[in-house]
Amino acid sequence: MMNIGIPRALLYYQYFPMWKTFFEELGGEVVISPPTTKAMIASGASRVVADTCLPVKVFLGHVISLIGKCDYIFIPTIRSLKSNIYNCSKFLGLPDMTKAVITECPPVLDVIIDINKGMRNIYRAIDKLGRYFTRDTSKVKSASLDAWQVHLNYRHLMSNHGLIPPQAMEGISSIDKADDTYVRTEMGINSGNPASTQTNIALIGHPYLLYDEYLNHRLIHRLEQAGIRVLTPEMLTSDELESASVKLAGTTYWTYGEEVVGAGEHYLQNGADGIIGILTFGCGPDSLMMEMVRRRANRLRTTPFMSLVLEEHTAETGIITRLEAFLDMINRRKRGGQ
Amino acid sequence: MRVSFQHIGNMWVGLKAVADRIGFDMVVPPITSQHTLSLGARYSPEMVCLPFKLTLGNMIESLELGADTLITIGQYGPCRFGYYHRVQEVILRDLGYEFELLKQSNGMLRMIKYFTHGASIREIFLAFRFGLAKLKALEEVERLVHRTRAIEQNKGSASQIFREAIQAIDGARDYRAIKQAKRVYLQKLKDIPTISSSNPLKIGVVGEFFVVVDPFANMDVEIELGKLGVQVERPQSVLEWLDFNPFTLLLGLREKDRSFKAAKPYLSRYIGGDGLQTVGEKVLHAKDWDGLVHIEPFGCLPEIMARNIMPSTKEQLPVLNLMFDEHTGRAGVINRLEAFVDMIKIKKKKSVELRV
Repeated sequence: MMNIGIPRALLYYQYFPMWKTFFEELGGEVVISPPTTKAMIASGASRVVADTCLPVKVFLGHVISLIGKCDYIFIPTIRSLKSNIYNCSKFLGLPDMTKAVITECPPVLDVIIDINKGMRNIYRAIDKLGRYFTRDTSKVKSASLDAWQVHLNYRHLMSNHGLIPPQAMEGISSIDKADDTYVRTEMGINSGNPASTQTNIALIGHPYLLYDEYLNHRLIHRLEQAGIRVLTPEMLTSDELESASVKLAGTTYWTYGEEVVGAGEHYLQNGADGIIGILTFGCGPDSLMMEMVRRRANRLRTTPFMSLVLEEHTAETGIITRLEAFLDMINRRKRGGQ
Repeated sequence: MRVSFQHIGNMWVGLKAVADRIGFDMVVPPITSQHTLSLGARYSPEMVCLPFKLTLGNMIESLELGADTLITIGQYGPCRFGYYHRVQEVILRDLGYEFELLKQSNGMLRMIKYFTHGASIREIFLAFRFGLAKLKALEEVERLVHRTRAIEQNKGSASQIFREAIQAIDGARDYRAIKQAKRVYLQKLKDIPTISSSNPLKIGVVGEFFVVVDPFANMDVEIELGKLGVQVERPQSVLEWLDFNPFTLLLGLREKDRSFKAAKPYLSRYIGGDGLQTVGEKVLHAKDWDGLVHIEPFGCLPEIMARNIMPSTKEQLPVLNLMFDEHTGRAGVINRLEAFVDMIKIKKKKSVELRV
């Protein structure tokens, strides 16, 4: 049996259930790297030049932690998911860079997804990936269809039931189909109408920042402890994200840009008492997209906006202080408004 | 309508010629200066790269001069460059400027037709051919300048002649005048007294396109290398960027295509900007260059990838990396260039001694 290593970083939070289904149906076994630790970031950072962005350093740390535990490492290249909308350079060169800086890395399973070359090209790429496991094309086809269905269920759990990826991954492993009643009763999530007195804070940013508890110093946990309902970009449907994104900044420019621009615009207009934008130092796309959201918030003057910039040296205390100040301000606003 | 654009190196010479030929009103923004940079940096987001700040500064300066229409390069791709104009538009509107923004992505021809009030395609074509001819002449002179700077006796004379050449070519009214100016200045460069018996080091300057071709952005790296007696090889240029020659394009003879091919074993796909070319140039010229100066704006996405991948190539070549933003000091750049050139000289001497 082949062991496929999947780093718990970058695209993991978006696609893991899909990847897992695909590999397991083809007879592989999936090994995930452990949650991020300080040592992992240090080992990742030691391989690359200093101004490489933090998520990539974290990713490399996870790859290093998988060495010796798997036969292959899965590093897909998501080039483009919509016509003429490309991903950031770091994602595009990720497999090549990993091979260049981690020479002891196990062989890389690399699949290039580029919609500009047509759907046939994508099918061929998936088929090529399946060849590592089986020569039976129909088996690969059925595995990829099942994987896609799991991905749709996963998205459904998040966008329609307000789950965040860690909860949704748990939910999807215990059910075959996204069953509405199951989600409501078993997971204790009440979707739909939240209590009006509860404060809603929207977090906008990429999933690899929002859900990596080590990187953001347990931000979601802290907010929930303070009795706040957390809203994230994953809780919106892709249509909502896209239409809001187009409204603020025209056609999307980067593949995962809607997580910032679309979610920002959406939550600025409805449903949030405050917005926290999370980005890392040196993130090219976010440096511009967050600015668009910030300037929009400035002009609208309806929803407070704060941005938190993360990097290796970010201190927990600094985050807590800023968070407290932000929440105090929102509570004061709410009381004043009533 | 008063149209304006942003500076990239000496491209303004070509654009101005186009405007003169078609006959529309064009505001040439003041040549990029420290003032431009401070203006741009003041209103830019903190983490954005240098070309954003410089082009924003150009925009503000040209709007102050009375421009009401700005042309920008709006494309798609992985690099931030294509997204610039959206943020810049918001920033300028927040500052209270009123203007119209034209994007190249809406179609070059349609854009030109719009601000020329319907010039014919023939007219536009001829005007662009004239502009390109000027850039071509300028580039020919520049190539000789690169060679001359390394071996001239009085440092700075070639740069002086180049400055005059830009003025002369800019002032040329027709093809004959361009040819004439080119001939005169090429001759002047050849007449510069040179150090005899000198075999200068050859160092390539590659990296992010904007910083490579814009002498203000890269703090005259080429001139400084020239002062150190180094012959600069610069494969990227405005002209190369605008090169649509179908012959070289189809056969893959362009420097860019050749470098892409050379980079293949190390970086197998295009990652936006010029990252792929940077890796390729190192591989391609490992034999015929003595070193490579890799320049990029601070935080450049594709170049960071290139910098991570470059050390792993089998082909060895000394590389000096220089990053630029508004806080870069000229003395620091010069110091590093000196140390780099010294190192290469020592290395070369050693290898010669070993062979003997």
